[in-house]
Amino acid sequence: MPATDNQGSFLNRISIRRNQFAPIETCNDQEQENLELFQRHVADRFADLLYIHSTTTTAAVTNSNSNDHSSAAAAATTTDSPSATHETHGPPPPPQLLSISWFRNLLDTYLCCEAEFKAVLVSGRDPSQFSRPPLDRLIPDFLERSIKALDICNAVTHGVDLVQHWQKLAQIALMALRQTPLGEGQVRRAGKALNTLLTSMVFDDKENANNNFHGRWTERTRSFGRRVGGGGGNNKDRTAGNFRSLSWSVAKSWSASKQIQNMSANLAAPRGGESTGLALPVYIMNTIVVFVMWALVAAIPCQERNGLATHFQVPRNLNWAQPIIGLQEKIGEDWKKKEKKGTAGLLEELQRMEKVAHSLVEFADTFVFPMEEEKEAELAALVAELAEICKKMEEGLGPLQQQVREVFHRIVRSRAEIIDVLDQITKMSAPVPY
Amino acid sequence: MAGTRDGVEHHVIAAVHHLVMALEATKILSDDNDMRTLLANLDTHLSTMIRLNEAEAENIREIETRLMSAQHAIMSLHSNNSRIWDSTSVIDLEYLQAVAEVQRLAETLQNMPLQRSSRSKELFDRAHSILQMAMARLQEELIHILVQNKQCFAHEYVSLPSCEQNPVYEEDSVVSNEDESFENASQRESSSIETEEYVMDLIHPDVIPHVKSIADVMFASGYNQEFCQAFSGFWRDTFAEFLIILDVEQFSIEDVLQMEWKYLNSRIRMWRHAIKSIISIYVASAKRLFDQVLGEHGHMSSACLIEASKAPVLCLLNFGHAVSIGPHKPEWLYCLLDMYEVLATLVPDMDALFPEEIGSVVRVEFYELLRRLGDSATVIFKELGNHIASCSSTTPFPNGGIHPLTKYVINYIMCFAEYGDILNLLLQAQDTVDSDVGQNAVATHLQSLTSILEANLDNKSNLYKDSALKHIFMMNNIHYMVQKIGDSKIVLYFGDDWIRNHVGKFRKHAMCYERVTWSSILALLCGDGRTGKATLKARCRDFAAAFEDVHKNQTRWRVPDPRLREDLRISASKTVIPAYRNFVSKITSSIGEKHIKYTVQDLETYILDLLEGSSKSLNHSRKR
Repeated sequence: MPATDNQGSFLNRISIRRNQFAPIETCNDQEQENLELFQRHVADRFADLLYIHSTTTTAAVTNSNSNDHSSAAAAATTTDSPSATHETHGPPPPPQLLSISWFRNLLDTYLCCEAEFKAVLVSGRDPSQFSRPPLDRLIPDFLERSIKALDICNAVTHGVDLVQHWQKLAQIALMALRQTPLGEGQVRRAGKALNTLLTSMVFDDKENANNNFHGRWTERTRSFGRRVGGGGGNNKDRTAGNFRSLSWSVAKSWSASKQIQNMSANLAAPRGGESTGLALPVYIMNTIVVFVMWALVAAIPCQERNGLATHFQVPRNLNWAQPIIGLQEKIGEDWKKKEKKGTAGLLEELQRMEKVAHSLVEFADTFVFPMEEEKEAELAALVAELAEICKKMEEGLGPLQQQVREVFHRIVRSRAEIIDVLDQITKMSAPVPY
Repeated sequence: MAGTRDGVEHHVIAAVHHLVMALEATKILSDDNDMRTLLANLDTHLSTMIRLNEAEAENIREIETRLMSAQHAIMSLHSNNSRIWDSTSVIDLEYLQAVAEVQRLAETLQNMPLQRSSRSKELFDRAHSILQMAMARLQEELIHILVQNKQCFAHEYVSLPSCEQNPVYEEDSVVSNEDESFENASQRESSSIETEEYVMDLIHPDVIPHVKSIADVMFASGYNQEFCQAFSGFWRDTFAEFLIILDVEQFSIEDVLQMEWKYLNSRIRMWRHAIKSIISIYVASAKRLFDQVLGEHGHMSSACLIEASKAPVLCLLNFGHAVSIGPHKPEWLYCLLDMYEVLATLVPDMDALFPEEIGSVVRVEFYELLRRLGDSATVIFKELGNHIASCSSTTPFPNGGIHPLTKYVINYIMCFAEYGDILNLLLQAQDTVDSDVGQNAVATHLQSLTSILEANLDNKSNLYKDSALKHIFMMNNIHYMVQKIGDSKIVLYFGDDWIRNHVGKFRKHAMCYERVTWSSILALLCGDGRTGKATLKARCRDFAAAFEDVHKNQTRWRVPDPRLREDLRISASKTVIPAYRNFVSKITSSIGEKHIKYTVQDLETYILDLLEGSSKSLNHSRKR
């Protein structure tokens, strides 16, 4: 933690103010305006993410808002994200909080904010400011935090693979249950796939929580069959399709939860003179990075994520942060519920898939031929829901994964650009006789 | 469906009731042809329907018999054999035929009208239940075959390349100079993993037809997704084992960035081997196998292959990304170039194994990494000049020998002999704008590096108070450059002119050294019999003192190259000895031998002590 943050004495504050004097002086009006604009855009973009799902009436309002913002964002920054253009087509159905489409919007928002942040921070700036307070301290801190975000991106990339794997199992069940006429064989087939799916959800998630990867897999595949039990009498279950590859996403002892904790540990809001200077956009961007990564980890299967809910707090008195705080509270509540149940992740589609899969397995276990009409209708509804979830996953997971990669590469590139600026400073201090 | 069929039946019955009632009411058929035709048609229709029903019933009875016998075959094979494919080929053929029969029957039944609780529906359900059971069994059999017949890999393919320590640098060139610690840049193993196309059998070739027959029957029964889940699941696990065999460890990006350089260097070497093996051997071999098994089923083969290999390949690429974003220190350059080179050789494999659409995530990561490695390497290469220039010192380098910076830079440059082509490619790709760099961007750049080095050395030489030592220092260092570069393949990038020019430079420094050292001393050796005795005595004394001084200083100085040292001594002797001999012969008669401290032979011997790098004192040596 930087020395200035945990000292409340008056004298220390004075010294902070004195340190801040230089950057404030160079903050011209234009820059001040850009800073305010940046804050407003951040607030607006996250407000869209917060309210868009709540009710249809507000959705219409926020929708028109979101159009304004995306065009403003497009004007302020050049973004290559696809959804900026999507939003201008008619009124799309507002995505459910934590759904795949919501995450796609979230990542788009991240990319927009990131581009604007870089514009505020780097373009037109005298590089020497980077070697003076507060940037001399904040920038290395920011870069370190982005490295941590990269590891989360990798973990989430593999998490999405795992979800895709589950989706394929669900699709087997779906295909079986859609056969007409439906017979016992197909119901058993569906039951087998869904049992594998549910076991994998519990198992892979638990496995991740236990930090047990290498060398465990043989034991695991051996014990797997016994655990499946009702999966249609198949008890040699290498075939069950458990998904060991998750262990290849990050290091053995790596923990997503700890990573988030580390990322947010030394994150302190700028105070005093810093709160109007360049320290602010850096803090905002840091907060966005931590929030986005936190939400991804909460929603998508990741290695070790106990105690995630408590790991990240944003001060409540900041205007631009209100929507982020709102989102964080909602997601945090969901997470606390989730932790009790121990399911695979907060991703809306995943939670529904898990529920539907449980109902269908129950159905398969009690299936008697011929079916009563009531049962038939119940089954049809479940199958329709599973089909809808699978369709959403089919359409959304690939692009979501690509977006996660895009975020990864954007962070890498931005880091390189900022380091470039820092290098220029060292070069200036040591001229080269070329 | 069944419901609507019932509905239709209902309508027909109602219509017939109406017809019967109407006919009863009519009693007499009029001559109306239309009506007659209609009724006649109805008649024929009814009779064919009845015949059809009979045929259908016959048909269903036959289906039932066949289904029963197939079921019987399947069940008894299930219970009599713990593993069907471990038994004789007659048995597994029998099994496959029975399953195919059930599948055919199920298909036939599917095309029949399947009323609720009709016999045919019952048979249809039974057929599917048998199929489901058989498919689950086939999945197990498949995994069993794969586990039993997975080939163990010959050591040569999986072990590390012989990474014997083969440093390109000479032993003493790993230096830490006063400003910066440079470390050994790169070690390019002699047995560098050259592109050797090698596709191997991942499972025993004899069982491939078995696997394919299982695939075919499962696909025919609509269980293709189950087959792919099991098949790619098995290979996904196996690829994870390959990574362990190849000694690939999982690191987070943070871990990699904090790694100690030596350890990282060894990990990078393992990585190069691993990624090459995984992509060009393992995935390529898997592709051949997958195509053999699934080639007839469209894109299934590549989809399964990607599912099986995506995680390990991404894992390896991830390590590459971590290295590429690390700090851009000069010693990273060769590692990055090595990594770039390995990836560049894998481009054709990548394109073949991970096709555009389905393999896009892996492809994008691969090409992004290739680009980043190239960029990072170019940045380091271009920054080298700055780096060399910024190595400044505040104290003179003792004894005028070869400065560590010279050794570092020159040895560093020598490695470019191996990387010239790849660097030229990278630089050309980058410098599309300023084309004045021309064909050989590397040559231009390397020559500018040596110029920067010379300028830096020149600055360092100014720290010497003794200008003779300054010339020794410059001579030594430039001589070192010329010799190293001239003896290596890298000379092609410098050319004869550069060599000639630099030979001239160090010779000039040698001459300057000689002049600065001896000209003032030689000036003392003048005079003859006519000069005053006191003056002559003073000159003798001064000469001896000056010579002792030179001897004392210059025995400490160092000219590491023996020939150069020899040349300098010979040249010194040629200048000093004749003049001294002449002087001595002229003045001996005048002031006597007593005042001449050193004989000509003494002087010749003492000159041989010079520039040896070990301090000597004449007072001491006289006593011997």
